[in-house]
Amino acid sequence: MTEQYFEEEEFETAFDGRTLVQLLRLQLRHKRWVAVYLASTLAISVQEAYLTFLTKRIVDEGLVAGDWPHVVGLIVHYGAVFAGFSIPVVGFIVGAGYLGELIRYDLCRDMFARLQQLSLSYFDRTPVGWLMARLTSDAKRIGEMFSWGVMDLFWGLSSIFVSLGFMVAISWKLGLIMAAVIPFLFFVALRFQTRIIRAYRHVRSTNSRLTGEYNEMLTGVRVVKSLAREQLNSDRFNELNLGMFGSSFRAAFLSALFLPSVQLVAALAVGTIIGYGGWQFQLGDITIGGIQAFVAYIAYMLMPIEEMSRVFAEMQQAMACGERVFSLLGAKPEIVDAPDAANATSMRGDIEFSHVDFAYDSDVPVFTDLCLTIGNGETVALVGPTGAGKSTLVNLICRFYEPQRGRISIGGRDVATLSQRSVQSRVGMVLQVPHLFSGTIQENIRYGRLDASDEEVLAASRLAGSHTFISTLPDAYRSVVGEEGVKLSVGQRQLVSIARAILAQPDIFIMDEATSSVDTLTEALIQQGMNEVLRDRTSLVIAHRLSTVRQADRILVVRGGGIKEMGTHSELLAAGGYYHHLYTSQFREEKGRALDPFHNSRSVVASA
Amino acid sequence: MSVTSVGVGGAGAQRLLRANDFDLKQTAHSHRVVALWRLITGYRLAYGLAILSLGLAALARAASQFLLRDFVDHGLMGNGGWSLPAYAAGFVLLGVATGACSFGAGRLAAQAAEGACFRIRGYLYDHMQALPFLFHDNNATGDLLQRATSDVEAVRKLFANTLLGIGRTSLLIVVFMTGMILLDMRLALWSAVTVPFILAASFRFFPLISSRYDLAQQQEARLSTRLQENLSGIRVVRAFVRQAYEIRMTERDNLGLKDQGLKLTNLHAVFWSGTDLLVAAQMVLSVYLGARAVLAGELTLGSYLAIVALLGQFMWPVRNLGQVITRVSTGWVSYTRIMAVVRQEREAAGEQTSLPPSDMEGEIRFERVGFAYDATAKVDDLGSAAVAQSPAVLEDVSFTARPGQVVALLGPTGSGKSTLVSLIPRFYEFTQGRITIDGHDLKTLPRDWLRRHIGIVQQDPFLFSTTIRRNMLMGVRGEIDDETLYAAARVAHIHDVVQEFPDGYETIVGEKGVTLSGGQKQRVTIARTLLKNPRILILDDALSSVDVSTEGHIRAALKALMKDRTTFIIGHRIQSIMHADQILVLDKGRIVQHGRHHDLKDRDGLYRDVFRIQSDIESELQDELRKATVAAEPLPHAGINGAGMPGPVGINGRTT
Repeated sequence: MTEQYFEEEEFETAFDGRTLVQLLRLQLRHKRWVAVYLASTLAISVQEAYLTFLTKRIVDEGLVAGDWPHVVGLIVHYGAVFAGFSIPVVGFIVGAGYLGELIRYDLCRDMFARLQQLSLSYFDRTPVGWLMARLTSDAKRIGEMFSWGVMDLFWGLSSIFVSLGFMVAISWKLGLIMAAVIPFLFFVALRFQTRIIRAYRHVRSTNSRLTGEYNEMLTGVRVVKSLAREQLNSDRFNELNLGMFGSSFRAAFLSALFLPSVQLVAALAVGTIIGYGGWQFQLGDITIGGIQAFVAYIAYMLMPIEEMSRVFAEMQQAMACGERVFSLLGAKPEIVDAPDAANATSMRGDIEFSHVDFAYDSDVPVFTDLCLTIGNGETVALVGPTGAGKSTLVNLICRFYEPQRGRISIGGRDVATLSQRSVQSRVGMVLQVPHLFSGTIQENIRYGRLDASDEEVLAASRLAGSHTFISTLPDAYRSVVGEEGVKLSVGQRQLVSIARAILAQPDIFIMDEATSSVDTLTEALIQQGMNEVLRDRTSLVIAHRLSTVRQADRILVVRGGGIKEMGTHSELLAAGGYYHHLYTSQFREEKGRALDPFHNSRSVVASA
Repeated sequence: MSVTSVGVGGAGAQRLLRANDFDLKQTAHSHRVVALWRLITGYRLAYGLAILSLGLAALARAASQFLLRDFVDHGLMGNGGWSLPAYAAGFVLLGVATGACSFGAGRLAAQAAEGACFRIRGYLYDHMQALPFLFHDNNATGDLLQRATSDVEAVRKLFANTLLGIGRTSLLIVVFMTGMILLDMRLALWSAVTVPFILAASFRFFPLISSRYDLAQQQEARLSTRLQENLSGIRVVRAFVRQAYEIRMTERDNLGLKDQGLKLTNLHAVFWSGTDLLVAAQMVLSVYLGARAVLAGELTLGSYLAIVALLGQFMWPVRNLGQVITRVSTGWVSYTRIMAVVRQEREAAGEQTSLPPSDMEGEIRFERVGFAYDATAKVDDLGSAAVAQSPAVLEDVSFTARPGQVVALLGPTGSGKSTLVSLIPRFYEFTQGRITIDGHDLKTLPRDWLRRHIGIVQQDPFLFSTTIRRNMLMGVRGEIDDETLYAAARVAHIHDVVQEFPDGYETIVGEKGVTLSGGQKQRVTIARTLLKNPRILILDDALSSVDVSTEGHIRAALKALMKDRTTFIIGHRIQSIMHADQILVLDKGRIVQHGRHHDLKDRDGLYRDVFRIQSDIESELQDELRKATVAAEPLPHAGINGAGMPGPVGINGRTT
């Protein structure tokens, strides 16, 4: 569905000169291919027109004059030019094709590099789907615009002007008449072009509604059936389908009308040539070959004009793509290292927040005047409602975000004076939703430290508790995990991600616990792996699981713009506040599930 | 949704459509040409005329070359020709004829292609709705969606562009060749010398291009995956500071795609410049032979000019023919994908049912019912003979629910609870025994009628992306006034929530509108079911995905809903089922216990286990709280702490 909406917005942008200039500048990096292309195109236009001119000379100087040796000479000439034709054809195709592909490649590379620099806040605001569309389809479309849009436009214009030149040379009177017809042809073509584009835009939006209707029926088919809505649905769909038929028929109708209209204008032009040229012939102002050449030139000028509507539609689309691509390329990272930023070699030591204010959106403060000290080696659990700022707190430590006010220091050094790179490389993270990359398990673990030896990978995997399941796989560590790790269960993915974090040997550990259902055995393994990781490291755990919370040295309740409760498990329970409330309901829930014989199988009951 | 603003008006569109009741199933088993021929039933005349028009257009174009010949030979060089204005008018008229014919072809082909696709879309929509649950269980939505949209589009292109293009090129070759032969047989034959070579090159080259193109697409998919993984895992990338590494890895795939693109370009360059050489040789040969014949007096100057012009015009389509033909297979693949769906049997195919004489009372009787299903009902492998039968999901299930009774079902995941209740609205067809409603055999009752009398509230509520009002009225036939609607919403405890939205009941839910919480959605579906007013109610684990703070509201709403209806409850908690009139405990598809709460709670078996465990939890908690307040240090870890973690919703829902 979302894809469709992207498609739709593409047509809504009007002609914008600045974007066009920006787009055209993309070619500057590939001047060589632009030159090859331009030279070949000009050569083709001249050659094609010249071939027609040669046929005219064969007729006039050879056939009408009855001079066979001259005919042979001209044919040799003709053959040579025609055969030579294949060289600029190669240049034309290669120039256009390479240029488009290279520009796509450049855009994709540059955008990707830019994205790697941008701050995380950019990704919070921008959906992945949007970014993907820029990197793939937009880059491709802009590339294609160069291959088949801008280039064809240039080819068309040069063909038209070169032909006109030859026509004027053959008979300036007739040539000028033709020159007068051209603007008229352009006018017809442009009129059609706008209407056809509009008609297809309507088809697209109808089509996306239709797809939406299908999608909803399919995802909700069980509800549709249970409500016995089939007939009503069909009636509704039929109306939409009829609309789709109507608008696509209309678009096809207009397209079918376009070519004949241009051809009609051309037929009038040919009629003029025949009538007027025939009269001129009798006066001796034009030859038979000349008339024939004129007819050929007209056919020859038609092609670019027929293409015009497609070229304009493509350029308009590309311009909309360009606007978004340039907005991405022009985005600036919000967090920039200070010019004299130091590289932290160790991140051990107390973490201290002093008077920190932070808000993603200036209207909604997340923290106001937050003061907090986390001792070296301490394990702190963060609990609280979703969106209260638990993740924000850990992100601030990593310098993924910067506070609007106040100071965060680690081991007495202000984080803002350290380079982001060095801070982030000393902090290990296990995220709530484990994210793996396609490739083997080994590659995924090694992602934590690229130069780790196989033995070190194995050791980390043992510590994390992932070794057991990995060794049961047919290819063990060389098993392929699939796209985003889909071939492994969520629990297995989590274990691999813990191994990855262990291998990185961070000074500070941050863990956003998994909430997804994993089976009991895996859960125990994860627990074990995490305990290993947490040992003698400062660690912050965003906790959902009671066991982890209880084990923490300290529990922080993050709610409503700050830390509202702080203490050990027993202290907070005794205090009877939010934590007490949370704990009791969670307890019923967790126990209920763990002991529910129906949750997994009978064996759970036995063990309980 | 009116189309009059831009498209052809509704009535206008209707006029262009033919044979909308044509049953696509008739084409499902035909082979290639026959299948395509059947697909355009009702539009055959239009499509035939379209191709005829293409022939006429080619004729008109050839005729204008003949006119040129006459103009040169008689109008300019000799005598006996027409006047100049007559020639001029002749050219304009032939131009008009060409234009009119090519327009006619385009318009008629569009009518046929769009009309056939209109029919396919409508048929697929109805068909997919009518396919049984099992089909939908086994086939991914995305795949079906693709068949209904992009595959239909490919079939449209097949008729509107590809087949028409093949017709155009073939007719052009025939007409122009005939024209040349009429002008001069010998020269015409010499002028076609290279055509077989060009055709051969074209037929060899375009399949090559298309396979190379597939390679490029695979590479593009690899790059996409890489990008997608990086972007959705950007936090991991940052956490391990792997930006440079990611850039390097992406560069590899991006370069790969670039190489593929350049190679494709190279192939094109080789083909087009190579065939250009062939065309050049042909033109030189024809011009040479033609010029010699003219000077020898064997050919008039006009004929020479006409032959050269005709030759020049048909070379390009000949070179491109391979490309057009390659596209046929794309369209054909899409056609077979559509037909794989069409071939599936609909739910009610060939059944004899009749409406019962009176309204539904709601007495349900299961007599030794069993159920097993096809384990492998995937779209594409149907038709192959071996269909595996799953082990029985239900076996020997018997019980009677009297009108208005509450029947609770309890059992482990996979024990067949949901399947059992799904048999009642005939979502699945039981394979053994007998089910009756009010004494009528279930298999004799129309599905539509049954489902209208059965209300279902599911674990994850599904709302349609339209207004809240429409969603609530989804199950209602006929008109309902606002007061009734509001009353139902009040009973479902959703009225006040809806009133707070700026657009009230006109608020659109889903992707394009407001996102409702799980509990709110659940209450909307309860209101929907209330308004539907069914005799039989099925509550399929309706409470399990609801956050704690709204649970009370939903419980109250459900209670109101159950009043006076035969109700089936599937639940996990004893609390929600203990008041049922009958409790069925299921295990591995069989009823292992059957009775009321007070009978079962003391009898040895599954029910008692669950009951005990659940009541123990409460006392354990109280115990721990007491200890915590006394002790200063944390309690020892208690061991296994729950296989399923409570979601953040649970935390979120709580406010003090």
